[in-house]
Amino acid sequence: MLAALFHILIFPGLLFLMAYSLFFDFVDRKIYARLQNRTGPRWYQPLADFLKLLGKETIIPDHAAKKIFTFLPIVSMAAIAAAYLYIPLFLPESLYPFDGDLIVVLYLLTIPTVCFFLAGWFSTSVFATIGAVRTLTQLFSYEVPLFMALLAPALLADTWSLSGITAYYSQHPFYLLLNIPAFLVAIIACQGKLDRVPFDLSEAETELASGTFVEYSGRYYAIFRLAIDCELVVVSSLIAAVYLPMHSDSLLLGIVIYVLETLLILFILALIRTIMARIRIEQMVVLCWKYLTPIALLQIIANLLLKGVL
Amino acid sequence: MTKTFMERAVDWGRRKSPWIIHFNAGACNGCDIEVVDALTPRFDLERLGMLQQGTPRHADVLVCTGAVTLQTRDRLKQIYNQMPEPKFVIAVGSCACSGGIFDGCYCINGGVDSVVPVDAYLPGCAARPEAIIDVVNKLLKKWEEKQKEE
Repeated sequence: MLAALFHILIFPGLLFLMAYSLFFDFVDRKIYARLQNRTGPRWYQPLADFLKLLGKETIIPDHAAKKIFTFLPIVSMAAIAAAYLYIPLFLPESLYPFDGDLIVVLYLLTIPTVCFFLAGWFSTSVFATIGAVRTLTQLFSYEVPLFMALLAPALLADTWSLSGITAYYSQHPFYLLLNIPAFLVAIIACQGKLDRVPFDLSEAETELASGTFVEYSGRYYAIFRLAIDCELVVVSSLIAAVYLPMHSDSLLLGIVIYVLETLLILFILALIRTIMARIRIEQMVVLCWKYLTPIALLQIIANLLLKGVL
Repeated sequence: MTKTFMERAVDWGRRKSPWIIHFNAGACNGCDIEVVDALTPRFDLERLGMLQQGTPRHADVLVCTGAVTLQTRDRLKQIYNQMPEPKFVIAVGSCACSGGIFDGCYCINGGVDSVVPVDAYLPGCAARPEAIIDVVNKLLKKWEEKQKEE
């Protein structure tokens, strides 16, 4: 019981996730700044931002639904922290592995997006409402290719559990090369999931002020920011667990491998963020449905055929 | 009165992460270009923790340029009221400080301090980006010293 609580709340659960996400945010911003030939933030910058927001006055708009408005940041944070528990991080097995945890993680990761939509909707501000609608439009476009791309390797491994995928691919490491198209699709689609450039339509600072979070201030905004950073960590861990399942039996080596893998994924994501500009919403829908979904579908068909051959 | 650890941590965070929002109250665009200039790679405000925010709800420092016209007066007041405490206002440029060459014009209300309380004045036509960075830094330093005294 105590051990379980320790795992869930401290390591590798909530507290570790928060600390690592602040570090992740720093690395992301630093890479972004260095690629733009800037100096970039100092290492404690995300922590300073978080503490400052905690200490600021919290304003709840008169027309907003107060209960939901204050409840949503916590729900999104909780969903992300729960998803983290089911991903194999340092060891070949996750904390609580069961058959089908891949599906559970994917659906837990959808909850924050729905929370962002509701947050915008219940703020009852014009900017926030447009941002919320865009969040939902985005959800309908990237979710399908992302799910299909993440399920393709699982189909080849003939299992719905993340630990099973790890076990399968450590026996046949070369089969990982077959999943490269799915990997590319997942990387592009998760930029949409994480609301990052080129798919940051719901936050679009120049047109929508800050989109969904326009009315959030103080500690609720702090928790939302933390949740977004944590989502970045969880999605990178998930992609690392599905496409680069390299794990070691020793905990220390496992941590080193995990950090290197996630930082590699973060570097790719930051690179995309730097070199792209924001696209329009209908361009995003076209991109996801016309290009990403067929590639992911082809990958699934190819994997099904290969499974018969291999 | 001694402060708890958490209060001191929040004070430290405030000092290290001033988020700014830029408002043009009727400037000729000269100072606005300089404010935007301060955010570009050459000056890189992010190394000091400053980020430009799109909404007043997330901002700590209102960087206001230009003499306040009758048209923008109410909007400036509204934006100031939308910002959560603690908040600071910086008047950037001669017009924002006093009304500048537009002072006494039929459509001008006056400097920024004729509408909202101003914490720091930065004269110049237009104010240099180095000066904008310096004024935010000095403002926070002064505020930090005041916090320490309390």
